[in-house]
Amino acid sequence: MIFIAIILGCIVGALIGVNMPMISYTYSGYLAIAIIAALDTVFGGIASTLKKNFDLKIFVSGFFGNAILAILLTYLGQKLNVDIYLAAIVVFVGRMFNNLGIIRRYYIEKFSEKKKDTKKEEQEQVENSEEEKQN
Amino acid sequence: MKKKQIAITLGIMCLLLTIAISVQIKTMNSASSTVSQTLADNGLRDEVLRMKERYDNAYSDLQEAQKQLEQVRQEATQDDNTAKAQEAELKENNMILGYTDVVGDGVEVILQDAETTNLSLDVSTQLIHYDDLQNVINELKNAGAEAIEINGQRLTSNTAITCEGNVIKVNGERVGSPFTIRAIGPQELLYGSLRRAGSYLDLIRARGNRADITKVDDITIARYAGVSDVKYLKEDK
Repeated sequence: MIFIAIILGCIVGALIGVNMPMISYTYSGYLAIAIIAALDTVFGGIASTLKKNFDLKIFVSGFFGNAILAILLTYLGQKLNVDIYLAAIVVFVGRMFNNLGIIRRYYIEKFSEKKKDTKKEEQEQVENSEEEKQN
Repeated sequence: MKKKQIAITLGIMCLLLTIAISVQIKTMNSASSTVSQTLADNGLRDEVLRMKERYDNAYSDLQEAQKQLEQVRQEATQDDNTAKAQEAELKENNMILGYTDVVGDGVEVILQDAETTNLSLDVSTQLIHYDDLQNVINELKNAGAEAIEINGQRLTSNTAITCEGNVIKVNGERVGSPFTIRAIGPQELLYGSLRRAGSYLDLIRARGNRADITKVDDITIARYAGVSDVKYLKEDK
């Protein structure tokens, strides 16, 4: 359900984005950092749904708050001639890897559990049939 | 129910995200076709693009401001006869100075470098030079041309025609062969005086270059695209 919504959103978004007007080059740097922040929040959201502690308010506020904060920091950095956006990128990308790790672990564990279960069932079936034979 | 809400929110977020990503990709694609490796080059490229954008913005602002000025002027002079007369004078002056688009009958002169180079002659004579343009312009002005443009560059009182190696600059903008000179003025006189035997066009033709003149009705000559600032002039009282 969640993944269908994500994929649908991505496809519709790409279609709309292709037909959107271009933004001016000056602001593309800010948009880029906002994209990284938003991407981080989305991965965080997926990871927390898997961990079953997803909070809608935290998610939405994080999505917009992080993006806006990142833009403001980048702007401040440009005014101060410090590349603050590098710090933002490091934090966001680092968190993204963390969240991706959580998602990966969840699915690998699920997958291996399933395998174990099927193996157990097979063993039980074999044992049962042997018992039947003995009887 | 809760899961549905989560799914919808995530979907909307992804929608926003992909819109932003595709807009960004589009912008970057249009901004730079060649990606430079070094940071310094990137910085310089950023600077150039930003400056260009600023220039474009400033230019559109200027045009907007001029439109507004025109409107304000029209409104201000609506019920005032002396102001109306002044307005008409201003318009005429702007036309003469080259600050408005003008329409009228006139002639079109096309000058083009020789198409096949004859190496036994001096190659230099087989090209159109900046002084050829100047001489033709002089003849046109002498015959009474009121507005002249070369390849879209309106000639104003401050226009310079200079030689810049393999191109010629008019108003600081590069122009090259073929040169299309369009002039508004007394059509018959312009046409006749430039077609007379021994006219400058004849000399250009004798060197193997192309020089044609045609009468054209309703020529539109665009306004001078730049801005003239007055820095040193003061009114003499």
